[in-house]
Amino acid sequence: MLGSLLTALTAAAERSRSAGRTTSERIRRFETEQLTLHVLAATIVFLIILPVLIAALVSTKRAGIVTSIGDLAPGGHALSNYRRALIGLEFWRFMLNSFLMSVAVVVGKLVVSLLAALVIVYYRFPYKNAVFLFILFTLLLPVPVRFVPLYRLTTELGMSNTFFAITVPYLASATTVFILRQHFLSIPASLVETAKVDGVGPLRFLWSVLVPMSRAVLVGVSVIMFVYTWNQYLWPLVIINAESLQVAQVGLSLLRGQASTGEVAWSMVMTGSMLTLLPPLALLVLFRRQLLETFTIQQK
Amino acid sequence: MSTREVFTDRLQAGVLLLPTMVVSLVFLYYPTVRAVGLSLYRASLARGDVFVGLENYRRLASSSEYLRSVLISVLFAACVVVGVMAVALCVSFLIHEIDVGKGVYLVAVIWPYALPPAVAGLVFLFIAHPNIGIFTSYIEAFGVDVNWFSNGPQAFVVVLIAAVWKQVGYNVIFMTAALGNVPESLTETAELDGVSRTRRLLRVYVPIISPTLVFLVIMNTIYGFFGTFAMVDLMTKGGPAGATNILIYDLYRTAFQFYEFGFASAKSVVLFVAVGLLMYGQFRLSDRYAYYGG
Amino acid sequence: MTDVTLQDVRKEFDGVVAVKNIDLQIPDGAFVTVVGPSGCGKSTTLRLIAGLEQATDGTIQMGNQDVTGVEPKDRDVAMVFQNYALYPHMTARRNITFGMKSAGDFSDEEIDRQVAEAAAVLDIENLLDRTPGELSGGERQRVALGRALVRDPEVFLMDEPLSNLDAKLRIKMRAELAKLHSEFGTTTIYVTHDQTEAMTLGDRVVVMNDGRIQQVDSPQRLYDYPETRFVAEFIGDPAMNMLSVDIIHDGSEYEAVGPTFRVPLPEGDGLETAAGGQALLGIRPESLSLADSADRSSFTAEITVTEPLGDSLLLECRTGDQAFKLHAEPRTAVEPGDQVALTLDAERLHLFDPQTGEAIYHAAAAQSLEQAGTIDCTI
Repeated sequence: MLGSLLTALTAAAERSRSAGRTTSERIRRFETEQLTLHVLAATIVFLIILPVLIAALVSTKRAGIVTSIGDLAPGGHALSNYRRALIGLEFWRFMLNSFLMSVAVVVGKLVVSLLAALVIVYYRFPYKNAVFLFILFTLLLPVPVRFVPLYRLTTELGMSNTFFAITVPYLASATTVFILRQHFLSIPASLVETAKVDGVGPLRFLWSVLVPMSRAVLVGVSVIMFVYTWNQYLWPLVIINAESLQVAQVGLSLLRGQASTGEVAWSMVMTGSMLTLLPPLALLVLFRRQLLETFTIQQK
Repeated sequence: MSTREVFTDRLQAGVLLLPTMVVSLVFLYYPTVRAVGLSLYRASLARGDVFVGLENYRRLASSSEYLRSVLISVLFAACVVVGVMAVALCVSFLIHEIDVGKGVYLVAVIWPYALPPAVAGLVFLFIAHPNIGIFTSYIEAFGVDVNWFSNGPQAFVVVLIAAVWKQVGYNVIFMTAALGNVPESLTETAELDGVSRTRRLLRVYVPIISPTLVFLVIMNTIYGFFGTFAMVDLMTKGGPAGATNILIYDLYRTAFQFYEFGFASAKSVVLFVAVGLLMYGQFRLSDRYAYYGG
Repeated sequence: MTDVTLQDVRKEFDGVVAVKNIDLQIPDGAFVTVVGPSGCGKSTTLRLIAGLEQATDGTIQMGNQDVTGVEPKDRDVAMVFQNYALYPHMTARRNITFGMKSAGDFSDEEIDRQVAEAAAVLDIENLLDRTPGELSGGERQRVALGRALVRDPEVFLMDEPLSNLDAKLRIKMRAELAKLHSEFGTTTIYVTHDQTEAMTLGDRVVVMNDGRIQQVDSPQRLYDYPETRFVAEFIGDPAMNMLSVDIIHDGSEYEAVGPTFRVPLPEGDGLETAAGGQALLGIRPESLSLADSADRSSFTAEITVTEPLGDSLLLECRTGDQAFKLHAEPRTAVEPGDQVALTLDAERLHLFDPQTGEAIYHAAAAQSLEQAGTIDCTI
């Protein structure tokens, strides 16, 4: 960037010399431009953060009725609000369910997809391309398309309202298999050839070589899967009835209902929202590097 | 690539693939197939599915409510795609042009990716609430009567804003990466030639990052049709009077409020075909207009 | 240690035939180099021996066993790749032992002892706890060798292991490889595209082109008695000159007649059949020299390019419409454009069939195979 700035500056200086304007004027104009850019960017960033900022502030208040900026001072009820949400309204259970569901799905999906990617990349067998397409095609079958018959199927299996129902259907992931496959393809073939010549088996190769070499991608994929699963709303809404098993996302819907009838203050709804927002956000912030790396693979 | 395929034990391959294949078959393919089958029946909670052939589809074609929902969905998705990409493009370009502090802005802008749609919906519901929303009083100062609980177009706009707000971050991730891959020399040439920033963005960068843009159009379309369910459910429940009754929400209500599973399956099939065709169309268009290669 | 035999081996990939029915016999304990241009099938042949590829046709035997369909790990071979194929996240030590644990049941002490031995031989003892990223190219090369060594295989297979090293390091490693072979005596098959490497390392050199074996011989014999035009031009740098000539039987003598020269040909097999027809006269640059005085076999040519190499002066000349090269003394005072008289070593002439490329005649009498040496790689 500095190099291009210098180049541009030099070129600009030459032009301005012929145009009769001073170099210092030009430099100042550059600085003003950068300043404008920063102001613009900062404004947009602020606008994007604003709603959640407000929500966070409100979550610390007692009643949560804010109608003007003046009302936005942080309330002193943060601790009592969060305690009430978690314990009094049993939001801790929703959080736990969401957490268990997400972790189970992430671990399950990782294992299942690693095995699938291993086969797709390192095995030779007939109709392999057909199998890969079979897996990829599921991308065209998102939850909204199949959730009605899926509901029927799950109910008929007697599995509705179970932990099984909100985890197993998510275990096959075309995107994960795809991302892992792309990553495996970037590993030199000679590594697996030398393993083969030395008599190293496929599972040992997966565990001792592929997994350690895929750390960043595995973390990135795990974050993506966790966020995706944590944010699931439609399927848990449909398949889980018992409040004790419900996940945080749908729990928010319950909170909203209670707020509409006046049972619960709006500040509590915001508290619940902040609680639900925290885990995926924390993961994003902690692992943003791996996440960005994984996205670039996915794009190709 | 084929020299990697060193393992040839087919039984092993089968066993390792089994979980993925079983789950895909049972929970992904089978329900989809069954949706088609179910769409030919009238089915409800009470046992006894009645075969009615194509009646469900006929009902769809003649239902003004459903057709309205189709219109709303398409309009909504289109607005989401355009809105999200326009905003994201500006933001990404800004970040690209800034010399210092890129990383900070980037993180500050992409975090909504982690934002649960439900939370997004709730927060917007709260701050734009006709009665108690904090934005409401300021907007009303402009003479606009904020009453989107009963005003259809307003409700549409509010949900739209929430949807766009949430999705911008995801787009910015990919756009900044793509812009970052544009060769420095192109920027320098354009600057040397005195090309203004906006022209540079539109005429140089956009064509070069068009593969990314195509990818994002497809992802945003899917989001516009499916990913906004929670927002609708929490903010408007499809109302007022069907103003935000996007297809996926309409589907949900048919199945789980009216318990008409057969009818809902027909809607699922239509939705699947519609979105599939849409994506295919986008993909083919991209082949013509997108600029691939260095 | 074992011998390796390929019989009528053929390998096809999607309609492209990479290896065209070759026969090759590699004796127990030999160091055989396989050389040829890119795409000649040498790497494929190596991989067929390793078991990484399955032969479309033909058999491969090791010792007395037919290993044609056998898995690599059951063939007891070790392979060194061009890019070393070291696991980047493991230390050198772990890289070396990783294959061992799968190949056999060794106790931990056994493993440590073998690693220490190999490390000592390869002089990498103090590098064992580093990861490949912390090693130089030559060091990685030796770790890769160490991994192959501790496997204690029947056959070593090497696929251009020195190609990624710089010139000086390559020469040093060549010497080390030769030393290793003399110490351990394991049958080794070494693939390379560099003919200098092939010549210096191999007891026997296999020259391949376009999926076929052109010739198998000791380095010197390959140089002195190339059996095809391809071998003649491939071995030796700069390449052998090829001049189009007519073969004339003039009374009692045979001559190779070009547009501007006549060269008498010493008696030898093949002249009779070649007489009256056209041929390619093959003569190496070092067999040509600037003539002190004109004699029967000298001819004139014009110098087009001079290249001072330091220890000699490489001249490119033209006579008629044919170009060729020769070596001259380093400080000879000649310039492009000069007309010079050239003479040649009549003992070092070859004739090749212009259509088939087969060698028709070699001026120096070919010595019998028994005299050349005891190793025979032809079936």
